[in-house]
Amino acid sequence: MSKILRPVNMMHAGGGGGGSCYIYPDSPSTPGLVTADVTFNRTAHMNGSMTMDDGNTITMWGFNEGGGMGMGGGAFPSPAMRMTQGQVVHTVLTAGSMMQGTHTIHHHGIEPSTENDGVGHYSFDVNGTYTYQWKASHAGTYFYHCHTNTVLHAEMGMYGALIIDPPEGPGTLFSGGPTYDKEVIWACDEIDSSWHNKNWRAGTCGGDEGFNSLNPDYFIITGVDGAQSALTDASIAPTVNVGDSLLIRYICAGYLPQRITFGGLNATIHMSDGRALPQTVQAATIKASSAERYDLIIVPDQSGVYEVTVEFLHWVTGAVVGTARTRITVV
Amino acid sequence: MKRRDFLKLGTAGITGAVSTSLGLLCWSPRAFAKTISKTFYITDGYIAMPDGVDVYFKGFSNSTSQLNIPGESVIVQQGDTVEITIVNTLSSDHSFVIDGVVDSGIINGGQSKLVSFTVNNAGSYMFYDKLNAPYNRLLGLHGGFAVMPTGSSNELYNGSPTFVQQYVWVTNDIDPIWHDEVSRGRTPLSTFNPYYFTINGRTMRVPGHPEYGNPDIDSGYNQQTRLEGSIGDRTLVRILNAGMCMHSVHFHANHVEWLAENGQARNAVWKKDTLLLPNNIGSLDVIYPYEVPPDSWPQVTKGYFPMHFHDEMTQTAGGGLYQFGLATTIAFK
Repeated sequence: MSKILRPVNMMHAGGGGGGSCYIYPDSPSTPGLVTADVTFNRTAHMNGSMTMDDGNTITMWGFNEGGGMGMGGGAFPSPAMRMTQGQVVHTVLTAGSMMQGTHTIHHHGIEPSTENDGVGHYSFDVNGTYTYQWKASHAGTYFYHCHTNTVLHAEMGMYGALIIDPPEGPGTLFSGGPTYDKEVIWACDEIDSSWHNKNWRAGTCGGDEGFNSLNPDYFIITGVDGAQSALTDASIAPTVNVGDSLLIRYICAGYLPQRITFGGLNATIHMSDGRALPQTVQAATIKASSAERYDLIIVPDQSGVYEVTVEFLHWVTGAVVGTARTRITVV
Repeated sequence: MKRRDFLKLGTAGITGAVSTSLGLLCWSPRAFAKTISKTFYITDGYIAMPDGVDVYFKGFSNSTSQLNIPGESVIVQQGDTVEITIVNTLSSDHSFVIDGVVDSGIINGGQSKLVSFTVNNAGSYMFYDKLNAPYNRLLGLHGGFAVMPTGSSNELYNGSPTFVQQYVWVTNDIDPIWHDEVSRGRTPLSTFNPYYFTINGRTMRVPGHPEYGNPDIDSGYNQQTRLEGSIGDRTLVRILNAGMCMHSVHFHANHVEWLAENGQARNAVWKKDTLLLPNNIGSLDVIYPYEVPPDSWPQVTKGYFPMHFHDEMTQTAGGGLYQFGLATTIAFK
């Protein structure tokens, strides 16, 4: 890196108590800035919430669409970004100060320069506005998330889907690849509600915040509780016709390993992590680890209601610690 | 168990306690088999974790005065005869095992044993102490063992995609309560609760920290761990998980080519940015291709990026200290 980074001293940050917090606030200009083909404005927020099926409300953070100082909105998950392969992309992030919380955007699976990779301790944690510039080189399913104090900020929900369509546009997975009639995005995540009442920089100045141990009590699909709501939520549970091609963009958005099963339907895996597989794979179930993505197509040949289960596995024992459910209805 | 000759490592200085070889795993192919000899000394001591807590470890070390966590990687060729001498300097019983290849049986405290074996299948293996399982392995008695195909310097197995340099990453999950119990000769009764997450026995430091950039301590600068290359320097990484946890391995800046899992070549080579690493001696073999970061605009050929585990609990130390966990740097020079 061209400059030597220094962490922010707590005294300067208004925290008190001395010692260093390993946060690197900056908002530099973008190297080699050009005119973008597509721009996404995102403003970090820390005032979202999600009401669970049991009636409890959990604090969530994320990114709102648009500029400004993040008042209102409170989106969870953050609004999806969708662009076309070959486009030069700007993601314009506006984040707060050391008092309000610095943040970054890392486009997971996108591979840009160091400055535009959005990893705080390799570049900077945004404390104003920064324009991430990159080129969408490979069609596929990705996601973006905050990479400041990531252990906390990603758990707090600071992520959203990122879809790159091939030049053919939506309806084709990748150039030379399969077409689809309908798609769903399943970002499957677990929530440990005991982590959801902390300061944005908790742990970055030292101290035991319990971040070594995730003990989730909720299991969700794309921001919808997988206990009951995801079974019927129209944005999660698709209805398709016999013979239609259903594309499932599966994002393992939590920290624990997952096992997804398609209720007896057979899926064909065409891509993973934004790259086409050399040969497709037939799968009735997929085991995935944190931040993997799989693109699979189901062409049901019989009507019926198929219950999809996403099991969240203990990272030591492999035991199922929770399950999220949704449904594919074939008519 | 008798406690003896504890070596204070970490912030107090680690000189003489690290692996003697510099840089990545070096190899020259041969058309013929030969005998490879190596002596490991089973030693113990304390290593300071990033939050200042001293944790007890045991290792397969290069001398009686060192504590090497993990043991120095061994690289041989298919068909070689390997002669490993284990000198157990401790009072407890230990063993040297490579699953499917060799098992020394019990090496009593204070005793030495020569194990001789031949390896027939190219690939990545872990040597470890199978006694008192899984505690001795978790305490640090483990290391990487690489078997090259006969006459080849650039393949994982005959006909595999090729590379120009190779590294071994041995990862571990550390529950200091378990380590302390074992140091007292007791069997841990508590549920495994890892507080530290290491790669080649080390964790990350970040800019501004006094140990940042210290190759003996900072996994982002340790020569056996940090990937260094220029465009085209295709790099084989043999990832071996000594720990109890399944993990998610995430590479920035390039997708990797996924060649093998748990020592088995995959039917098709997938390009992945994130992979599930199985636990309890699970392994992955991948090639980091060192291609121009494909989404950079303008395109760049230089930069610094992380490889980190994405089950982000691993990115912490002592329950906090994000960025002081299991990660390293990928340098594009």
